[in-house]
Amino acid sequence: MVAYTEQLCRHIGRYRKIMPVNPRATIYFGGGTPSVLPLSCLEQIVYALKAKGLWQRPAEATIEVNPGTVDGEKLKAYRNLGFDRISMGIQSLHDKELKTMGRIHNKKEALAALDMAQKAGFKKINGDLIFGYPGQTLNSVKSSVEELVKLGLTHISVYSLSVEKGTPLAKDIKEGKLKLPDDNMVGDMYDFIVKYLPEHGLRHYEISNFAKPGEEAQHNLVYWHYLPYLGFGIGAVSFTGRERRTGPLTMAAYLAGGKQDIEKLTSDIQLEECIFMGLRTIDGINIEEIKERFGVDFKKKYSKEVTECELQNLVEWTENGNVLRLTAKGMQFGNRVFEKFM
Amino acid sequence: MKQSKNIRNFSIIAHIDHGKSTLADRLIERTGTLTKREMEDQILDNLDLERERGITIKAQAVQLDYKAQDGQDYILNLIDTPGHVDFNYEVSRSLAACEGALLVIDATQGIEAQTLANVYLAMEHDLEIIPIINKIDLPSADPDKVKKEIEDVLGIDASEAVLCSAKTGIGIDDVLEAVVKRVPSPSGDSDAPLQALVVDSKYDAYKGVMLYIRIVNGEIHKGMSIRMMATGKVFEVTDVGVFKPALVDVGSLGEGQVGFIAAAIKNVRDARVGDTVTSNDNPAAVPLPGYRKATPMVYCGLYPVENSDYDNLRDALEKLQLNDAALLFEPETSAALGFGFRCGFLGLLHMDVIKERLEREYDLTLLTTAPNVIYEVFLTNGQIEMVDNPSLFPNQTVIDHVEEPFVNATIIVPKDYVGPVMELSQEKRGEYSNMTYLDENRVMIHYALPLSEIIFDYFDRLKSVTRGYASLDYELHGYRPSNLVKVDILLNGEPVDALSAIVHRDRAQVRGRALVEKLRSVIPRQLFEIPIQAAIGSKVIARETVSAMRKDVLAKCYGGDITRKRKLLEKQKAGKKRMKQVGTVELPQEAFMAILKVDK
Repeated sequence: MVAYTEQLCRHIGRYRKIMPVNPRATIYFGGGTPSVLPLSCLEQIVYALKAKGLWQRPAEATIEVNPGTVDGEKLKAYRNLGFDRISMGIQSLHDKELKTMGRIHNKKEALAALDMAQKAGFKKINGDLIFGYPGQTLNSVKSSVEELVKLGLTHISVYSLSVEKGTPLAKDIKEGKLKLPDDNMVGDMYDFIVKYLPEHGLRHYEISNFAKPGEEAQHNLVYWHYLPYLGFGIGAVSFTGRERRTGPLTMAAYLAGGKQDIEKLTSDIQLEECIFMGLRTIDGINIEEIKERFGVDFKKKYSKEVTECELQNLVEWTENGNVLRLTAKGMQFGNRVFEKFM
Repeated sequence: MKQSKNIRNFSIIAHIDHGKSTLADRLIERTGTLTKREMEDQILDNLDLERERGITIKAQAVQLDYKAQDGQDYILNLIDTPGHVDFNYEVSRSLAACEGALLVIDATQGIEAQTLANVYLAMEHDLEIIPIINKIDLPSADPDKVKKEIEDVLGIDASEAVLCSAKTGIGIDDVLEAVVKRVPSPSGDSDAPLQALVVDSKYDAYKGVMLYIRIVNGEIHKGMSIRMMATGKVFEVTDVGVFKPALVDVGSLGEGQVGFIAAAIKNVRDARVGDTVTSNDNPAAVPLPGYRKATPMVYCGLYPVENSDYDNLRDALEKLQLNDAALLFEPETSAALGFGFRCGFLGLLHMDVIKERLEREYDLTLLTTAPNVIYEVFLTNGQIEMVDNPSLFPNQTVIDHVEEPFVNATIIVPKDYVGPVMELSQEKRGEYSNMTYLDENRVMIHYALPLSEIIFDYFDRLKSVTRGYASLDYELHGYRPSNLVKVDILLNGEPVDALSAIVHRDRAQVRGRALVEKLRSVIPRQLFEIPIQAAIGSKVIARETVSAMRKDVLAKCYGGDITRKRKLLEKQKAGKKRMKQVGTVELPQEAFMAILKVDK
C-alpha cells in the first residue's frame, strides 16, 4: 500500500503538462476502493496533487467508498481533506443478495455508513445499485430503491448487470449454480426504476444515473461530454482529446514503472466516441459543437441514421433542432442508436 | 512408329478420403515433375477452398515424364477428377479424355458408394480400370477382403490390383508401371483432320479463354486457324502448352496429347466445354461425341445483404460462370429481399462452394434462401410450369398435379444399420428397390428417394443413424407425382416470400409447426413483438411469437471504459451487418435456412 502510494505520488510529481488544467477541474478518487487506503496514504496523494496544481478549487471532489471499509473517523478526515462528495457502492439492501454478489458488507453496515457520511457533513452522496443480478426479484429491487430514496440521497446510479465473459459470475451462471432473472423481469425492474426515481425528485439525466436538480456528477459529465481528463494509478486512463493513455494494468507492472499504453484516436473515432458518449446524457449532442470540434455537418452526414432512429422513436431533436438526444425509449435501447454511428 | 505410342492418359477415381490426392502428389514427386521442395501439399487441388475442404471441384491436369523399366520414355497425362457426387459431370468430362483410370480404394474401408458411381462412369467411357488398394501401411488394412469386394461387387479382376501406400510411398513404382503396361495408348490418327475435345475452360485475364483439350486426331500448333464445330467461330491459336503442372509453352500438340490452347477467345460461350476444335482449313467431317449438359438440380435465391451490392453480385456471378458452366443464374425479385438472383447448382456442395467463393473472392455479404428442387406443376388448363422458386408455386386451385425429381440412391452400410437406414428412408418417402450383401458385414441398399428429401437433411440423418458408417451416392432418376403443397410464412402478418417452402401434404402440418418454432429460436428479439405464422393458402397452421426485447444498452460507461465499449458496439454492429431488413424485421441468414434445420 505504501509502495503503491509512493509510486503514485512519484507519477503525480513527474507530471508534465500535457494539457492546461482548469483550476475548477473536478477530482475523483475511485474505480477501485480508495477507502481501503490508510488515511496517511490518502493524505500524501492529495498533497501531491495540490503541490502540482492539479487540485485547486475543484467544482467537485468525490471519493468512492465501500460500506465495509469506512468508519466515522475516516469520513470526517475525507471531509477535512476537501472531498465534498461520497459515492458508495451499496448495490442492494438485502443481505442475501449482497452475499451472492460477494460483497463484504450487509444492509445494516450500508445504512450505518450512509448515516456516518451525512453526519460527517457530506451533502452530496451517491449510492450505486445493481439490478438484474441472480437472485434479485422485482420486489427486492423495488424495496432497495425505495429505501435509498427515503434516506435522502442526492444521486443514485443504477446499473443493470452485464455478465462479462471469463468472470467467476459467468462461470457460475454457465454451470447453473446461479440463474439470471428472466428478461421480462429485468425489463420490469428497469421500468420501475425509470418511473420511480424521477417521481421522487431524481432526474434521469444519464442512462444509468439519476440526480436531484443541480446534483449531477460534474466529474462524470466530463467523460460524457468527451472532454479531457487526467488519470493516475493502476490502469488509470487519461484522455487528451486526441489520444487515450492507459497505465499498467497490474500492481506489479505499475510498481515496476511499466509504460502507458497510448491509443491514438483518429478523428473518425473521436467523432464516434463523442456521439455515443454524448447521447448517453439527457443533454444529448449539440450539432453546433460537433461542427466546431470536428468540422462535420452532423445532419447531413447522419441523415439516414437519424431518420431510422426517429422512425423507431429512439431519438428526438430539441433546442430548435440543434440538439439530438435519446427519448425515454432510446435510453432503454441506447445501443440500437449508438451502433448506427459507429 | 505411331507418335502416341508412348502416351498414357489416365484419371484417378476414388471415394472421398481414400487417398486420391495423396497418390497424385506422390506420382508427381516420383516422376520428378516437381521436386519435393516445389510441391505444395496436394498440388492439384489449387483452389483455396478445395484445399480447405480436402475436395477437388474442378478437373485439373498434369503431364508426367516417366522413364519406365522397359527403358523407354513415356508421357503420362494425369487428369484429376472431383470425387463428390455434385461434380459427377466434371468426372465424366475428365474420363472422356482418358484411356484408363486408377480406381483407388482404401484398404481399411473397402468399396464405398462413390467408388461405385465412379466405376460405372469409367465403364461407360470404356476405360481400362486398374484397382489400386491404398493405405496398406495401416494396421487395419485388409487388402484381400478389398480384392474380394472388387471382384464380387464391381466384377473387376483384382488379381493384378496394385497394393500401395501413397502416404509412405510403398508401391508407387508399381502404380506407374501398371499405368504404362495396362492403360492403352491413344488410338487416333495423326494424319487425319484435327479433332480435339474441349475438356474444360478457364478465363485468363491476359490470354482470354484457355481451353483444356484432348487431341483425338490430327495436331494443333501455334498460329493455326481453328474452328469450334458447335458454334462455328474461328480463331487463331496464340499459345499451345502442357501442364507441368504450371503451364509450359510447347508450340504444338499431337494426336493423343492433353494440353491447353489460347486463341484470343473473349467469350466463354464461343468455346463451350464438350465442343470439338478442328482445323479451319482442313475441317473434320463430324464433331466428337460431346458431353451431356450439366443440369442444375438444386436452386436457391442469392441476395446481397446490402442492396447496393446487386451489380457487384451480378459481375461476380458472371465471372464465376466463365469457369463453371454448371452454374446458372437469372435475376429475380423478392418482395422481402429485393433484387437478387435465382441460381441453379449441381448440388448442395456446389451451392456452398459458389456462395463461399462469392463472399471470399468478391467480398460480398450474401443471403441465400433455402435450396429447393425444380418442380413440374401440371395446371388444370393443360399447361406445365417448371417451378424453381417456392414463392412462385401456383395457386392450389389451378393445379392438376405436381411432380418432383426422384433419385436412385445407393447406400453402403454395415449390416447392423440396415434397420435404421430403411426406417429413415421410409420416413423420407423413399421407395425400396433392392439390397445386396457386399460381404458378410456390409450391405448395399438401393432406394428411390425424392431429391428434395436429400437436400433437406437425409444425408445428415443417415450419418447420424449409422454413426457415420454409411456412404451415399445418387443420380437423378426422373420425375414422379407427389402430393405437394406450399407452406407460406408470415412475419407480423405479412407473408415473406423468401421463406416459403414446398412440402408433402402429409407432413405440412408437422413441418409448418417445426418451422415456426425454429424461426422463433433463430430470429433475435427486436424492439417489438413479432408473430410468426405458417399458412397453407389462407389457413394458418401454426403460430409462434418472438417477444419484444426489453432493453439493449450498455449500463456503465465512464472514462476508462470508452475504448472497450466502443469495440463492443462495433462488434454488435458487425453482427447486424449480416442481417437482412425485411419490412421492419431484421432477419439473420439462419432464418432462411430454418426449413432445413427443422428436425421433422
